[in-house]
Amino acid sequence: MSTDLDQRLKEYEGKEAGGPEVGADPVNIPMIRHWCEAIGDQNPVYLDEAAAAASVHGGIIAPPVMLQAWVMRGIKSRPATGGSLTDELYRLLDAEGYTSVVATNCEQEYHRAVRPGDHLSTIATIESVSEEKTTALGVGRFVTNRIRYVDQHGEPVADTLFRILKFKPPAKPDATERPPRPRPAITQDNAFFFDGAKAGKLLIQKCASCGKLRHPPRPVCPHCRSLEWTAIEAAGRGTVYSFVVNHYPQVPAFDYPLPVGLIELEEGTRLVSDIVGIDPADVKIGLPVQVEFQRFDDELTLPVFRPV
Amino acid sequence: MADLYFEDVNEGDEGPSISHELTRTDLVMYAGASGDFNPMHTDEVKAKEAGLPSVFGHGMFSAGLLATAITNYVGIGTLKRYKVRFAKQTWPGETFITSVKVTGKRKEDGENLVDLECTLTNQDGEVKVAGEATAALPSRG
Repeated sequence: MSTDLDQRLKEYEGKEAGGPEVGADPVNIPMIRHWCEAIGDQNPVYLDEAAAAASVHGGIIAPPVMLQAWVMRGIKSRPATGGSLTDELYRLLDAEGYTSVVATNCEQEYHRAVRPGDHLSTIATIESVSEEKTTALGVGRFVTNRIRYVDQHGEPVADTLFRILKFKPPAKPDATERPPRPRPAITQDNAFFFDGAKAGKLLIQKCASCGKLRHPPRPVCPHCRSLEWTAIEAAGRGTVYSFVVNHYPQVPAFDYPLPVGLIELEEGTRLVSDIVGIDPADVKIGLPVQVEFQRFDDELTLPVFRPV
Repeated sequence: MADLYFEDVNEGDEGPSISHELTRTDLVMYAGASGDFNPMHTDEVKAKEAGLPSVFGHGMFSAGLLATAITNYVGIGTLKRYKVRFAKQTWPGETFITSVKVTGKRKEDGENLVDLECTLTNQDGEVKVAGEATAALPSRG
């Protein structure tokens, strides 16, 4: 299906991009050296005068694939207005959301070796702008440019094709989406507590030898040092023994101000838990509370306490 | 590197392979050497803001590496034509392996031409750059 944009883009096809782009500097040894160092190309014909003189080339030549570097604009960004027809085309594609770019094809035919002292310019023709295509990177349009490289006498040194994909970058994750609540570190000793919460039960560890309750879960009874234990299901009623209202630092998974209570259970042990359903300013020591189970996601359910 | 003569080359011959682990330093050096300062190649912060896992390699860096493997093989013989397709983006930490294979040889307009097929893959065999080249080689005759 052809759209207005397709029509507008078609108008660029077959057109010359504008006046020649002239390289900032003539072909020179320092730039060849930098390029060879970046690529790791140690071919002596690019930098070793004597070896190059003895070669079929009779002197130093620039690496053929370095061609593009002789006319690159460098750090200067695309002009906001004016410039070449290619600049105008890319501005239009940017404005339509095709802001990302990758190269997809490069074809170079070399008519002669490029040597220090040559001063290259390019004459570009926009060959085609494709319809919108779905690619692995996202939806985009292929832009094919034919670029002729000429020397300072206007003689062609190379003919090239360069195709890029201008594409719409994938949507960023929604910044307002909440990160998941941090996971508790589950161990052999405390797994029963979190499994219990998932099943809607407040399970408290009980020493199998002396019968005392303990929380948080741990392997040894602090009263009789027994390693034997079981668990009881607490009724979930208790009072606020102490509390803090946390303002800072803020972790994105939580709401602030965040009241956190030390809850004394009727059964006689205490546990740390969120206090919900109350203005944090109204939390008081001695406040009667009742457990409920809050499901945060598929994996995590935790007990929280609400005033009764 | 030793000179390679047209007579020494046969269809199916393979050139020596280059192996190279791509680093962010490579990308910075190549940006400076080529004048391609697209921040997606050199600015990790901007690349991540754009939804990418990290900066990614310049296509022409991979193409340059693959061309080096070709010219290492054909010696200082003249590269006439080089044509590549950038199949996948490249990422720092990947190790590239080049492959250059002779697909044919012919004489044309007094030149001794050798056609080559070339690919650059990563350590998992994923093709990053694939293409072909033609080089003119000296003759013993």
